[in-house]
Amino acid sequence: MQINNIVKKCLDGSEGAWRMLVNAYSKRIFNMAYQFAGSFEEAEDLTQDIFLKLYNSLSKYDFKKDFSAWFFTLSKNHLIDHYRRTKWEKKTRDEFDEHFLASETDDGPEIGLVKEESKRTIWSALNSLPSEIRMTVILRDVQGKSYEEVAEIMSLPLGTVKSRINRGRLQLAKILKEKKEIENEV
Amino acid sequence: MKCEKIQELLSPYLEGELNPEEKRLIQEHLEACKECLILFSSLSEAQRSLSDFPQLEVSESLLNRLYSIPAKKKRFRLSFDFLLRPSLQPVLAAATIFLTLISFYAFNPNRKAIDKSIDRQLHLGLNKVEKLYAKAETFTSSLGEYKDNILVSLKNMKIFGGTKE
Repeated sequence: MQINNIVKKCLDGSEGAWRMLVNAYSKRIFNMAYQFAGSFEEAEDLTQDIFLKLYNSLSKYDFKKDFSAWFFTLSKNHLIDHYRRTKWEKKTRDEFDEHFLASETDDGPEIGLVKEESKRTIWSALNSLPSEIRMTVILRDVQGKSYEEVAEIMSLPLGTVKSRINRGRLQLAKILKEKKEIENEV
Repeated sequence: MKCEKIQELLSPYLEGELNPEEKRLIQEHLEACKECLILFSSLSEAQRSLSDFPQLEVSESLLNRLYSIPAKKKRFRLSFDFLLRPSLQPVLAAATIFLTLISFYAFNPNRKAIDKSIDRQLHLGLNKVEKLYAKAETFTSSLGEYKDNILVSLKNMKIFGGTKE
């Protein structure tokens, strides 16, 4: 069934259609929230809030527009707003929680350890980026969306998106480089 | 080209977005500058690690919470629907005004002064009513004295069938 038909049925009150919508998007939204927030429990709460917001806003959806892009924009807005509201209450996260580490690959112990260390460094570095830049980097480099898709979700011109991603990547690379230099000195 | 300018172009270089001339300039610079080469290797390592992020599965409990959103909203809507009836609107408006006045009185720091002024106004009103009542009593008693004369005069009026004299 096409996504617009599912949305129409949801608006008519069909619980089956709502289940289809949840099945189609819950994993993507949950992972996006997890990559942005860094905590499993927080990502679960954020996903629930986002779907609640979606349910309340479905009547405002313009059927001429792309539903996925519209829903990702709504999610992005919620995640950034939530971050702005709570950033003073949180300490900076510098380690991935156990859910991420549990899903590590089956590489040999040494390679696995190096990879794990490297990913931890990237994660903490990602958290140090400003929220808008972090979101563009997540959409492009973690979720693998095209520049055009990122621009639509972020509601920004293509040039601004490219420059934000460029800045974000450079910042991450500089942090990694500094860390490597410190390790080499030790 | 300076290192800063080169560093700005490293990300587009990694994505293969540069023209052949720019590409050649970057390659030449990376061969000559160790700092920029290390930064470029960190950049590609960071990008690889980001794309390697594992996709987590959604837990059963979260899925159930998401499925139940319409049912919860429906229950909420049913339980509070009666408050939205148009016939209740004047009652709700009156209740709002009443509660506003009560809260204004209850949380006012000069509550004693308000009590005093209400007390004074009540007493003044009571005094006025008493005075009016007393006046009304004297008026009825004075009317009683002239009651007979008034009745005769009325009967003698032309419109009631009497003579003018």
